[in-house]
Amino acid sequence: MSLNQEKIAQALDVMALEAVTLEKGNIPAMGNIMNALSDLERETTAFQNALLGHLIKACKSYLERLILSEKEEIDPLEEGIHYLQILCHALARGEGLKEDIGWLLNKLGLDKTELAEAPGPQAGQVRDEGGGKTEAKTEAPVAEEKAGSFGLSEEDRQILSDFVMEALENLEAIEVRLIDLEQDSSNSETINAIFRPFHTIKGVSGFLNLGHINKMAHSAENMLDRARNGKIKIEGPIVDLILESVDLLKKMIQCVQEQLEQGVSQKSEVPYEPLIERIEQVLSEQTEIGDKPLGEILIQKGAVTSEDVQESLAKQKEAPEKKIGEILIEEKKAEPKEVLSALRDQKKFSHGNIDLHVKVDTKKLDSLIDLTGELVINQSILRQNQWILGAKDQKLYHTLNQLNQITSGLQRTAMSLRMVPIRSTFQKMVRLVRDLAKNSGKEVALEMIGEETEIDRNVVDELYEPMVHMIRNAVDHGLELPDVREQNNKDRKGTIRLQAYHRGGNIVIEIEDDGRGLNKEKIIAKAKEKRLIKEEGKMSEVDICNLIFAPGFSTAEKVTDVSGRGVGLDVVKKAIEKLRGRVEINSRAGQGSKFIISLPLTLAIIEGMLVRVGKERYIIPALMILESFRPEKKQYSTVEGKAELILSRSKLIPLVRLDRIFGVQGDSVEPWDGLVVSVEYDGEQRCLLLDELLGKEEVVIKSLGEGMKEIKGIAGGAIMGDGKVGLILDISGIFEIAAHH
Amino acid sequence: MPVDTSIKVLIVDDFATMRRIVKGVLKQLGFNNIIEAEDGNAALEELRKEKIGLIVSDWNMPNMSGLDLLKAVRGNEQFKSIPFIMVTAEGQKENVIEAVKSGVSNYIVKPFTPETFNEKLQKVFT
Repeated sequence: MSLNQEKIAQALDVMALEAVTLEKGNIPAMGNIMNALSDLERETTAFQNALLGHLIKACKSYLERLILSEKEEIDPLEEGIHYLQILCHALARGEGLKEDIGWLLNKLGLDKTELAEAPGPQAGQVRDEGGGKTEAKTEAPVAEEKAGSFGLSEEDRQILSDFVMEALENLEAIEVRLIDLEQDSSNSETINAIFRPFHTIKGVSGFLNLGHINKMAHSAENMLDRARNGKIKIEGPIVDLILESVDLLKKMIQCVQEQLEQGVSQKSEVPYEPLIERIEQVLSEQTEIGDKPLGEILIQKGAVTSEDVQESLAKQKEAPEKKIGEILIEEKKAEPKEVLSALRDQKKFSHGNIDLHVKVDTKKLDSLIDLTGELVINQSILRQNQWILGAKDQKLYHTLNQLNQITSGLQRTAMSLRMVPIRSTFQKMVRLVRDLAKNSGKEVALEMIGEETEIDRNVVDELYEPMVHMIRNAVDHGLELPDVREQNNKDRKGTIRLQAYHRGGNIVIEIEDDGRGLNKEKIIAKAKEKRLIKEEGKMSEVDICNLIFAPGFSTAEKVTDVSGRGVGLDVVKKAIEKLRGRVEINSRAGQGSKFIISLPLTLAIIEGMLVRVGKERYIIPALMILESFRPEKKQYSTVEGKAELILSRSKLIPLVRLDRIFGVQGDSVEPWDGLVVSVEYDGEQRCLLLDELLGKEEVVIKSLGEGMKEIKGIAGGAIMGDGKVGLILDISGIFEIAAHH
Repeated sequence: MPVDTSIKVLIVDDFATMRRIVKGVLKQLGFNNIIEAEDGNAALEELRKEKIGLIVSDWNMPNMSGLDLLKAVRGNEQFKSIPFIMVTAEGQKENVIEAVKSGVSNYIVKPFTPETFNEKLQKVFT
């Protein structure tokens, strides 16, 4: 006890000294007293004296109210500290306090009962706690008056419009964060990141006198605050409420934006009270729920059966200190490796990778890539220069080699600059799946694998629509209703799995569901009815499935029960082909279907077939070429001497003379003198007549500039190895031109 | 006593609009020497570069919160005597107490007027 005496005396001295000179609003002094009280409390626990404990607590709580300006009288605290000194000295001597200090405790703690009995809602109380009663009263009208004149000054208009921009940006970010939370609902940093925008919007809207936005944000903030403190778990209904709050706030803020632009005074037209009520209701119902269990992850991975987990859970009840993973390993139900990997999955999303980023205009990037492309070509022109080839200077060759390495390194890096992870596109699907599931009454879990896979920035944007289409298809038509799934011995919850990975020079994206799969008989029947095929005899299963992409397979009418799929998937195919990619579908009846999209990593480089027509050279995108051959005379026919056709593989394909389309003079007048290349676009085929195939080449696509942007039949230009320009053919444009000829 | 308005003020907040508002309030009070930082880390960097006469910091920020910044400032021989005003939201009672314990010079509750802010400043600088 003697050890503590010094510290106790020190704490008492600090308090006494500060208390004597203490004035209202001297926050640092109050801080010192507060810390001294805490020290005293800690050091005197050994006394085990209830009275002392009470007195310290009473002083602390009174001091807290002084700090919060709920109390202004300093005397009671001073008296409290005085008696603390007396009591401590008495206790040190082994004596008690002769005087009854109930009156003092009353004086210090009186407000507690006063406060508890104070009428009015929680929110009102909280407000008072903040600024102090008198302050709050005078402040509020001032703030309003001030804000009332807001719309007028230019500075304030600026602040308002800044707020609109910043708030909308912050709200966008919430949606993305929510996905992280669904994976790991206990990650406090993520919860905080969602909490913060609401909190800030609340704060700023208070300044700007946007009362309705303030209230809405406050309500959402309350909900998040509860989650932050671990009182509620963010899932299902809470996520819905957060999303609805985001939507509503966006609407309200956009409303402000419109009014700002039109110069009308701000008044909310968006009803927000019902949502606030619902939030409050849900908050009052919510109870604490545990974390997403490891067992569940292991079952999903197929490492253990649900019986194993049930057994182990039962065992865990007997030995609560053991983790479920440990029990599973001990019982030899699961390999340590599997448990570890499941644990990693559980934690995976908690580590937010914060990389340093610089925002760059994509136009600058494009031009960098362009210039690098030209550099590479010029470099190869230089190497082929007759003078250099003839030179016998070792040093020159050495330097040229180095130049070569540097330029190709530069090109690789430049290309990679425009690559972004596909994550953001995947994450946009979370919201979609949630909404779709809700509307269709299905239960859907979304799994995402390989979100870090990189893809060209320009492709990412184009990919969004087709993916939405396919996912909508998978949820609407692929997955069964929960009851149906149960009858088929499936989990009530269907799964949509998004996966991305690189293969060769392509990025592959898979959209997989574990629904009912395609009904092949119905597809065949439908295809026959639509005259897309004559008979199915020769068709493989894959071919049958892919009929659903055929144009005209589905019409605008609702054909949802035909195989459960097929509303306008030809649109998807078209969009993917525009990106020079391919899409196909695999399916197993009763087990689900899988869309597989394969796209080139970048739109800047194209693999092309270099062909010659007369003196001109053109590049045909290799992806669109089916075959090339020299037709025999008997394969050629005409209809009324006009439309020319080539018979290939028992199909009549229209012939397109490239020289006529581009107004140049080709060498081959008769098709059997030249070559034809058969190309396919949007399910249609054409044979292009040309003179020679010069070879396959990877070329960097360059736009022909604004003036020549709209030229049909030409997709762009490319500089060839010899420095001359070759035109890249736009097959769909050529089809159109040919149709009008 | 009039407060010396020539001192350099550091506003710390992750929300640009909020910084602008606080800046506006300070300007109305005659402060013209104002710099900004968007979180505690950035604020510490500014502190190392410039001679700061007053810190006005938000509580809730990513990377480094206002409380952590306060603790870092108070734990540093060079900075520990710089006046530090914490901006908190209404109803953040525990935060206020926490900040007071960590040696905050004063706190102010959003939304505030130039008058309220001035009152707090007077208390800080007397």
